[in-house]
Amino acid sequence: MYSHVLDITRLSKLYGKTIGIGDVSFTIDEGEIFGFIGPNGAGKSTTIRILLNLIFPSGGSARILGMDVIKDSKRIKQVTGYIPSDAYAYPYMTVSEFLSYCMRFYGHKNDNGRRNELAEMFDLDMKKKVSDLSFGNRRKVSIIQALQHNPEFLIMDEPTTGLDPLIQSRFFDLIRTENKNGMTVFFSSHILSEIQLLCKRVAIIRDGKIVNLEDIESLRRKQLKKIRIWKGENDNMEDLIIAGTEGDVSNTGDMLSFMYSGDMNDLLRLLAKRKIANLTVEEPSLEEIFMHYYN
Amino acid sequence: MNLNLFLREMRRNAMSLLLWMAVVTLLISVTMSMYRTFIDNQSKVLGMMNLIPKSALQFKGVSNFNDLFSVLGFYAVNNVIYMMLLGSIYSIILSSNILLKEEYGKSADFLLSWPLTRSDVFISKMSVFVLNVFLLNLVATLAGFISIEIVKTGPFGIKPFLVLSLYTFLLNLLFGAIGLFISTLIRKPKSITTFSIGLVLIMYFIYTLSKITESASKLGYLSPFKYADMDAMKPGYGLEPWRVLFFIGLSILLLVSSFRIYKRKDIYL
Repeated sequence: MYSHVLDITRLSKLYGKTIGIGDVSFTIDEGEIFGFIGPNGAGKSTTIRILLNLIFPSGGSARILGMDVIKDSKRIKQVTGYIPSDAYAYPYMTVSEFLSYCMRFYGHKNDNGRRNELAEMFDLDMKKKVSDLSFGNRRKVSIIQALQHNPEFLIMDEPTTGLDPLIQSRFFDLIRTENKNGMTVFFSSHILSEIQLLCKRVAIIRDGKIVNLEDIESLRRKQLKKIRIWKGENDNMEDLIIAGTEGDVSNTGDMLSFMYSGDMNDLLRLLAKRKIANLTVEEPSLEEIFMHYYN
Repeated sequence: MNLNLFLREMRRNAMSLLLWMAVVTLLISVTMSMYRTFIDNQSKVLGMMNLIPKSALQFKGVSNFNDLFSVLGFYAVNNVIYMMLLGSIYSIILSSNILLKEEYGKSADFLLSWPLTRSDVFISKMSVFVLNVFLLNLVATLAGFISIEIVKTGPFGIKPFLVLSLYTFLLNLLFGAIGLFISTLIRKPKSITTFSIGLVLIMYFIYTLSKITESASKLGYLSPFKYADMDAMKPGYGLEPWRVLFFIGLSILLLVSSFRIYKRKDIYL
């Protein structure tokens, strides 16, 4: 028996003297959709590649469904699905041939029911050659190959890249349904909104280290806006003190910029009394959130 | 070994194998069809041979002019050397790409995320390469045998013929093992084919240089071609245990090393 579906303990990967990931530890419970977020190059794919035994760790350990990711790799893969971020199916095969080929590794020779159901859901032409598919359609093939054997644990690495909004929405619905049916999901992405949409908990990785691990609700509560105010005539704004301003306020002479987590109505009421030239309210980039919270 | 992967790889490489088989068969048939004309003009040929520098004939593996007029000697000089070269090129291209194409084709993330061990992948793919090289050699041997049977003017030694074929197969296998070994070490997969062909040609060049240049004769031992004895007309010609051991031993060493490296190799796309 196992206590966690995924249990990563002090996992590290070194590339010479460069740290790919260092001392990464977290767990995922059964039935959870767990988010793994960080900017490009933060170590998300490195962590996933270790879990799939594509690369070997320099230290630490990882267990999936109680099994060691190196020693029990084959048994783990029998019950795991993986949607890679940057892989190509064999271009000389048709979609149908590729998916059947994949299924035979799981010992399902003629079990095409689930495959056909998923292909219909994603409007995928099974007779087309993989080489003739668009990027988005190739991504659909990746999704179906990962789900057609009904895995207990699904690892997704940037799965929505290339999918149009309608298919993205169907994909998220599918993941929610599979999750309700018992599938545990490890969802890696650099898009905060996607993670917020699906996940209950999230690990934030930066420079190969887990910088925060928290409930998505508490992350949402912390949600910041990036405010920029261009000063009006005869108002240098130096006395402007706003509750909810986070961190340092940058003053370039004619513009103030700062992160704001307070009530937007309070800010607008305060600014209405002042003479400003312009105001912008933006979603900060993930990198800016990292810089703000974790520097 | 995984049968699903093995059969897929066999099918994937079938067209290429058939093409190589066709080329080799054509080459052997066309060359052997010239044998009768060759012996009908024996005196003219001998006259011409006397004008050719001895080193140039040694380059072709001819130590005695009269050997050329026996059907086996003609076959050995004109076909086996090409089969050794072409077969080795086929073998090294196939083996050096068979694992790496999953990486540069960006399909490795799929293949290695399915329920397979690295051993399954390696052994299945290695079996495909060994079987394909064997089949190419089998077809070349059959084509050679049938051609000889058609054009021969008297009996020929089947044993030296089979020994020649076996040395050719062992040489091809060794180059394949070298290709597989290099592919487990290399990080820039796209350049492997050029590198592999270049390696076979350089080894062949070293071998021929050692044959025609007295001072470079020892250099030949660096080339696997040197260890395949092609002088089928010499008395007592047969399989020499040390040569067989060299080929089999080195091939096994390279394959086992490749296996161990691949089992611990980090796979990136």
